[in-house]
Formats: sequence, C-alpha cells, structure tokens
Amino acid sequence: MIGLVRAELRKLTATTLWWWMLLGSLALTGLFVSLSIAFSGSTGDLTPPLSTVAGQRDVLATASSPTALVGILGVVAMTAEFRHLTATPTFLATPRRGRVVAAKLITYTVVGFGFGLACLVLAIAIALPWLSAKAITVSLSAPGLSLTALGVLVVVTIYGPLGVGIGALVRNQVAAVVGLLVYLFVLDRVLTAIPALQPVTRYLPGPAGDALTGGTLPNFPLLPAWAGGLLLAGYALVLAALGARFTLRRDVT
Amino acid sequence: MSQHRLNPATTRPGRRHKRGDVKPGRIVVYELCKDFGAVRAVDRLSFTVEPGMVTGFLGPNGAGKTTTLRALLGLVEPTSGTATIGGLRYAELTDPLRVVGAALESSSFHPARSGLAHLRIYCAVAGIPDQRAVEVLEFVGLGEVGHRKVRGYSLGMRQRLALAAALLGDPPVLILDEPANGLDPEGIAWLRALLRELAHEGRTVLVSSHALAEVEQTVDQVVIVHRGRLVRQAGLAELAQEHSATVRAGGPDPHALFRALAGTGAEIQWAGGRELRIRGIDAAMVGHLAHTARIELHELSTQRGDLEEVFLALISEGVPAATS
Repeated sequence: MIGLVRAELRKLTATTLWWWMLLGSLALTGLFVSLSIAFSGSTGDLTPPLSTVAGQRDVLATASSPTALVGILGVVAMTAEFRHLTATPTFLATPRRGRVVAAKLITYTVVGFGFGLACLVLAIAIALPWLSAKAITVSLSAPGLSLTALGVLVVVTIYGPLGVGIGALVRNQVAAVVGLLVYLFVLDRVLTAIPALQPVTRYLPGPAGDALTGGTLPNFPLLPAWAGGLLLAGYALVLAALGARFTLRRDVT
Repeated sequence: MSQHRLNPATTRPGRRHKRGDVKPGRIVVYELCKDFGAVRAVDRLSFTVEPGMVTGFLGPNGAGKTTTLRALLGLVEPTSGTATIGGLRYAELTDPLRVVGAALESSSFHPARSGLAHLRIYCAVAGIPDQRAVEVLEFVGLGEVGHRKVRGYSLGMRQRLALAAALLGDPPVLILDEPANGLDPEGIAWLRALLRELAHEGRTVLVSSHALAEVEQTVDQVVIVHRGRLVRQAGLAELAQEHSATVRAGGPDPHALFRALAGTGAEIQWAGGRELRIRGIDAAMVGHLAHTARIELHELSTQRGDLEEVFLALISEGVPAATS
C-alpha cells in the first residue's frame, strides 16, 4: 500500500495541477481572511466583533474556503484515470481495483491535510498582525479558537478523500467536477436556506463542514463538531465504497 | 519482491486451469465468451500460448482480439469461460508487473506527464528501482525524450513507451496489442528482432495483429480469430504447408496427367498451355503418379503461396455455424 500511495503522489506531482490548486487555495484564503477582517463591524455586518473569540473564529474559519479546490483535486485524481485511459496501466499494475481507490483515499487525505495546514498558517499569518494593529490581542490557545483551527484542518483534509469518492462513483471528469461545484455552491445553499428542511439538511456535507469550523450560520442547528467530522468522513468512505463496488468494476475497454 | 513469486504457478499449482497442464508462462484461454449488450464479441474461444515462442494473434479489425487480451488481463470481465496465465487469473497474480508485461494501446498516457514520470509511477507500485525506468526508456530508444511530455510524442514514440512499460518488470510473459502500429520500417525491424530475442530467452510472447504479413517474419505460431471465434491455431510452417503449396506440373500430354491425378482427390486447375496447377498433394506424389502412368513431364515444381492469401482465405471462409 505504501508503494501505491507513493505512486499516487508521483501521479499528482508529475503535472502542475496541484501547484495551481495550492496557489488558488492560498489566494482564496488570503482574500476571505482579509475581507472578513476589513469589513467586520461595517454597517449591516451581523458577525460578532473581532475582539470576541466568536469573531476571531469566524475569521479563522475562512481558511476552510479552499475545500472545493481540494475536492476537485481528489475528483481529478480518480477521473483522470478514465479520461486519459491510464486506468488500463493502473489496473494492470493493481488488478484489485479497490486497492487503487484505497491508495487514493490515503494519498488525498495527506494532500488535503497539507493544503489545510498551508491555508491555516496563511490565515493566522494575515490575521494576527492585522488584529494586533487594531489593538486586539488574540490568544490562539483560547478553547473556541484552537477548536476552529483544528476544524479547518479536518474539513479541508476530508474534502480530499471526499473528492476521490465522488470521482470513483462518477467516472466522468466534467460531470463529477461540475456536480461537486453545483452541489457546494448552489444546492447546499438553497437546501439549507429552507427552515423546514433543517432537521434533515444539517446532515448534508456543507453544514457538516460548518459544524467543524464553528463558523456562524445564524439560526442553523449545526451538529457538534465531532459529529460533523465523522459524518463528512463517512460521506467520503461511502461514496468511495459505492464507486469501488459498482462504477469501477465496469469493464475497462 | 522475491524471486519465487516470478512464476506464481509454481507457488500455487493447479488452481483454476481448465485444460492442459499448468505451466509457468503458459496462457490458456478456455471457452471464453464476452457479450457487450446484445453483441457477442468473443464466442467460446479456446487456445493455448506456449512460452519460448512468438505467437501471432490474428484476425481482422473487430474480430475480438483486443477484448480477448483485455479479458486475459483482468480489464474485462468474461461473460463465461476462463483466461489464465500460468494457471492463474490475472487478478490472482501477486506481483503482476513482474509476471506479465502488457502494451495494449498507444493512447493510455496522461498527456501532461513525461515518459519517464509515467514509468516511475509503475516502479513505485511494483517496488521496481527507479533506475529501471531509465534503462527501459533507453532500451526502446526514448532515452533522450524521456523528460518530454507525452503530449508531444508521435504514435511511434507512444508505441515504444508502451513497450517500455511492458518491459519494466522484466516479465516472463509479454502481451502486445498491435505493437507495430505507427512504427517506421526501421522500428518494425527492431521490434521483430526484439520479439524473437524475448522468445529465445524463453518468454511467452503474444502479439496481435490484423495483418499476417506484418508478423509473418516474427511468429512461430498463429491463432487466427474471426467474429470472436477461433478459425485456426497452427504453426506458421504447418499453415503454409497445408494451404498454400501449389504444384505446377506440365508435359506434352496434360490430359493424361489430369486423368492420372484425378483419383487422388487433389484440386486440379488448368494453368493454360500444357500446365496444371495442383493443390492437396505434393510434388513427390505428382511425380510418382506420372511415373507410374508413364507420363512424360517437362515441368514439376512447388510454389509457395502468399501467407497473407491463406490468412484472407481462412477468414473469408468464415467459421462454422454457432453450435448454440
């Protein structure tokens, strides 16, 4: 399995996609952290003030904004095998296809963690000097804040294997990427906006991720952070297992 | 990985073979069927491929060659029947890249990866030293372009890269689907010599092609398929002997010669003038019969027919009607 994971890392680093995705992730994080600090307290802003731990958590939680990009990276890892027909040499080298999916799940957990860590560090590097310039002292060890930091790491990490799971189930690259984006940016938001559905929609991947970062969704019954994390990881594993069981067993012609 | 895994049949003897003795490196396809929807691509196909020789897997496009090879390599699930290598299905091989090297199509490369990066991926999977990737690239003549993206490779270069990937694990069994496509004449000559050499080393070499002429100088055995069914498995020499030897015989009295040969069941044609063209018996037999009947002969010779014609004749004769 170590060899398989190394092979997956080599596939990732053989092209420049990961580099652009990392750059994009850092840019998104930088943008959202800056916006959330810059516009905090302006008229109409409902988020808690930056001087409170709750306000600082909201700033830090924006470091999880690259989840979609990490998800895409995971999707591409799986679907590129079919798009570029490398599924043939891949399955020749590893005839038990479930092992290929397992290797990708592990690899993209590692990759997701790396992305999460990079974004978190960037967010802190921007927020701390900026807030101290506003004469706000931030204690990273404050219980709520360290939990959010951990939550950011976990949620960005899990989107890696989640993408792999989606890619395993939907072999078509364009369909899988578009599906992921439409879900995250349209479906998830529309569904969670309907109050009557909230007892159900709290179990969707979007709110499960929000539960982890402790970001503020006003009047939304988020799950406890640990439950959100488990649920999100569960989505990744179930999608991957379904993909391995059904989609990936199809003939490679 | 340890040496004893090289030939899995020696470690797990007797499993899953349905016909013939299990022998390391022997490919056995037995009663293989594959349906794609309503289309039967492979129809109760059985044949054996032995190590130490080059076997040509021949048939027109759409005959089911690629599907058969993909079933053999575990990429396609057979509808029924088995296809084994050394007595094992591909999925049962513990270290497949060191047992079987396969080059299936020249397009299964990520265009943005370099040739070297492509090979190094499979080195990591199979625990093969990275240096081996450099070696095989140089061996197939791609040493200088190994760092270039595959996107910029010609068809011939992709074929060579696919071959390099097949050789990566130094496997005793090689399965190559139309490896000569896109190669220039020099490349084809090189490929021929390579395949001969690999077989000479005792490896099993199975090469598919849609044209017999392409592999005629390379193969020892042929397996000819048409519409998913076996038309013929034979040694190349045997095939040539049986189907294409034409005896030309001529003399002052061709009518007498005709009568003398008529009882043998041979196929006799007038070749014009005073010559006959005879198929089905050899020159020695014609000479003997003429001598016995005291017929004067002015010419007696054997003509080797074109193997390609034999191939075309075999596949146009078609195959026996379905037994089902």
